[in-house]
Amino acid sequence: MATQPTSYAHPEALVDADWLEQHSKDSDVRIVESNEDILLYDTGHIPGAVHIDWRTDLQDPVIRDYISPDQFASLCSNKGISPDTTCVFYGDKANWWACYALWAFRLFGHEKVKILNGGRDKWRADSRTWTRDVPNYPPADYPVPKKRYDKEVRAFADEALAQSKSEKPLIDVRSPGEFKGDVTHMPEYPQEGVLRGGHIPGATSVPWKTATNDDNTFKSPSELAKIYLEGCGLKQGTDTIVYCRIGERSSHTWFVLTYLLGLNNVRNYDGSWTEWGNKVGAPIEKGA
Amino acid sequence: MYPPKLDKIISLFEMLPEVERRETLVSYADSAKKQEPRTGEEFDLEDVRRDEECADTVGVYLQVDEEGRAHFRMTLGPEVQTLTRAMTAILCKGLDGATPQEILELPSDFVTRIVGAELVRVRSQTTYYILTRMKGICKVYLDRQRQAAAAA
Repeated sequence: MATQPTSYAHPEALVDADWLEQHSKDSDVRIVESNEDILLYDTGHIPGAVHIDWRTDLQDPVIRDYISPDQFASLCSNKGISPDTTCVFYGDKANWWACYALWAFRLFGHEKVKILNGGRDKWRADSRTWTRDVPNYPPADYPVPKKRYDKEVRAFADEALAQSKSEKPLIDVRSPGEFKGDVTHMPEYPQEGVLRGGHIPGATSVPWKTATNDDNTFKSPSELAKIYLEGCGLKQGTDTIVYCRIGERSSHTWFVLTYLLGLNNVRNYDGSWTEWGNKVGAPIEKGA
Repeated sequence: MYPPKLDKIISLFEMLPEVERRETLVSYADSAKKQEPRTGEEFDLEDVRRDEECADTVGVYLQVDEEGRAHFRMTLGPEVQTLTRAMTAILCKGLDGATPQEILELPSDFVTRIVGAELVRVRSQTTYYILTRMKGICKVYLDRQRQAAAAA
């Protein structure tokens, strides 16, 4: 039987509310809220937190892609973030979009990133301090990143296809119904125009929720190791690709595998099912 | 073209710069709870359900008074998004006193003028959902009225 880890591989990447309250005013710390609900930040947020919208701030408005390094530098500068700033991300939906924003920051090489364990809901449930005041930080100097780290943290459709053909790990983090092909979107979520249901051949179904407790905090190191290392056979050094519907839930699992379990070579296929399920000729498996 | 109360709300939003537009939407969202049914109120129709287009259950309650004017109450589940809450309060106030037929025939182009093109673009289903539900209950009401008239 494999030895179970007793701590996260990168414990510094996960902070709790007490840590955040102690460090919220540190000049080298910036709290970043990122939500699915586009107006949620405006209804109240953690004091000092800035808002980054996954769609209007991080994505190109025309092409399905992310902003350019120039635009990323400008975004960070406007939020008072420099390359040395530690960004602590949190948000609604158990931190889906917080993990997505963190992943996008890694895409541009920003290394000092953390997640607030439990996200917005736990902070509110614990009756922590709350405000509607929007902070205004002086612009920071953020040099334009020399490149985007697509090869390191991001997978494209042809790479997902190669992964499937070579029978390397593909983790599908959507709901069981989506994986089986019974539905093409989450219950209670809009149908975003996907024409086919099912999953990439060879993918393993591990819904994102498997990694969290009821209060949206992450499960213990040993529980996560049991799910992903023992259960899925994921190993250090093996290429692993995670995907969902549009890349947000898989960012959550990408964070778990990369930071909490310390696996290298994990990439997020952000095109996910909205690309694969519409792609002419893409192979699809149905059923459990 | 629009019911007078809705027309006033549209005019208000059109005058607002973007930051204040968002603040006003949040204020309306905060007041959505005031649109819930009150003890003792009776309704001609109630439609409470959870649709694929919305993150939680939404209840629409319609009362049509003796003059044939519609009055709405709404219930929203905790997961309903802020923009949907805002549209709930705006439409309950803006359509209060209009007739079911006027509501059914209401063009939906005013939504962009209230919410702004950017929010409509990124959350189109959210912004139109409540209006669709209100039109839906008005249609059922009018269909039943017509059926009753035909049977009489």
